[in-house]
Amino acid sequence: MAGRGGAQRPNGATQGKICQFKLVLLGESAVGKSSLVLRFVKGQFHEYQESTIGAAFLTQTVCLDDTTVKFEIWDTAGQERYHSLAPMYYRGAQAAIVVYDITNQDTFGRAKTWVKELQRQASPNIVIALAGNKADLSNKRMVEYEEAQAYAEENSLLFMETSAKTAMNVNDIFLAIAKKLPKNEGGQSGQQRPPGLRLNNEQNQQSEGGCCK
Amino acid sequence: MADQHDMDSNGDSKIDGYGFERKEDFDEQSYEAFMSTYFMVLARRAARWRPLVVGKERVSKSRKLKRFCRKGIPGEHRPLVWMEVSGAGERMKEEPGLYRQLLTQKLDGTATESIMLDIHRTFPENIYFANTIDPSGLQKPLTNVLKAFALNNPHIGYCQGLNFVAGMMLLILRSEEKAFWLLDTVTRQLLPDYYASDMLAVKAEQELLGDVVRWKLPDLYAHLDQVGLHWSLVGMKWFICLYADVLPVETVLRIWDSLFFEGSKIVMRVALTLIAKKKTELMEAKDFTATVEILKKLESDPVVLNCHTFMESIFKETGSLPRAKLRKMRETCMRRVVADS
Repeated sequence: MAGRGGAQRPNGATQGKICQFKLVLLGESAVGKSSLVLRFVKGQFHEYQESTIGAAFLTQTVCLDDTTVKFEIWDTAGQERYHSLAPMYYRGAQAAIVVYDITNQDTFGRAKTWVKELQRQASPNIVIALAGNKADLSNKRMVEYEEAQAYAEENSLLFMETSAKTAMNVNDIFLAIAKKLPKNEGGQSGQQRPPGLRLNNEQNQQSEGGCCK
Repeated sequence: MADQHDMDSNGDSKIDGYGFERKEDFDEQSYEAFMSTYFMVLARRAARWRPLVVGKERVSKSRKLKRFCRKGIPGEHRPLVWMEVSGAGERMKEEPGLYRQLLTQKLDGTATESIMLDIHRTFPENIYFANTIDPSGLQKPLTNVLKAFALNNPHIGYCQGLNFVAGMMLLILRSEEKAFWLLDTVTRQLLPDYYASDMLAVKAEQELLGDVVRWKLPDLYAHLDQVGLHWSLVGMKWFICLYADVLPVETVLRIWDSLFFEGSKIVMRVALTLIAKKKTELMEAKDFTATVEILKKLESDPVVLNCHTFMESIFKETGSLPRAKLRKMRETCMRRVVADS
């Protein structure tokens, strides 16, 4: 996994910044949310990934230049009836990956609804990425790349087609998000971690303006 | 004693006695240590159970049977006893044609599609579910049970998570009609409306877990609240799946032995015990992430692997949870959840 070893803190004065971000995955059932996370966190893929109930929590660290970015990932259940739980997971999230399946037009429609909801209700500065997953099944493609890309541009979303199966663009989409997230020093931006999950202890919260400690 | 022999002979294999592939973090040493004592327990329990069940078609509920269920139903008697103590067997006899008749009805497209999406994603690491070619495989029975359930419970339809519950029932009962009746009875008569499409009851149950922790373990509650733990992030899968696909299989079965007799209070007792077992570690967790990681690891902890002592502790260590008090607390939680929604 790229950057894994970089998570350790050197003892010297050259210690890089460590940023912690909450990221949520949203999207219709069986589009591959858990598979993308499993690929990103463990480098694995299962043809039949178990259905996620409620949500699963995982973490992964990537290195960007002198910054260590730790993702705290909430992988949510896709079925519509679990929708009302979603705010609990995206509240306070700095990033979201909205996933659809390129072989299923309905899932793209559902992804757009998620994007709208995030734009309306999540943190105003949330970084949203759109992932067209199952790109390895391009012979069954129902959603054109250009269509999704145009939509992503209109809505200022990061966009990539991904394949959890072949690993195509999986690390890349997380890295692209990491790059786009503000890694300013504490107290600079005045950006507040929204209420909801308090991720750090008291000390960190006080010094916290963006994400870094 | 077929199950127990299977478990024994598979002790060092990659597949357990129920057809599950052992996980990569399978702790063989802890398992062996536990099984060496648990076999004696199983043998002793089997001898005690024999006069109650052998040659019987009906088993009536009694204080003695309740005590026996708490100590574990021997594998070979589980199908009979589960059907009897839950009331599912009775209902099946009252409406003998219902299941077949439901299977001839057409389920709406959305529910069918949701079920089909989950069939391949139910216990893919279990040999009976993974094998799509073998006619004795359980994918088709699972599809049937979930469809019949959705037709019989239109206000629920299909709720993700029922696949794991029904799947585990099928593994034990080996009869789709019985699995249907057990699922239908447990969800209608033994549990709050966890699977309703509005999810309100299951959300209220998480709130209730929070309130029960506040009542029983106030210092831990205060700490977790300060760390920012939302109760609904903890127990959703615990409640929805009734610990199937969460805790080790043998532990799930032991929980269900009591759950089907005594009802949803068992689910709450287990949740409270799980949290109480890790109190010291949880009190030391400084942030949200550390807290969630502790709770996640708990699911494969030797504490829950040893199902026999774990089940003893859910009754001993959590103290009394009077039904009437729980009911009142649950109503309060429900009002809170409805007001929030």
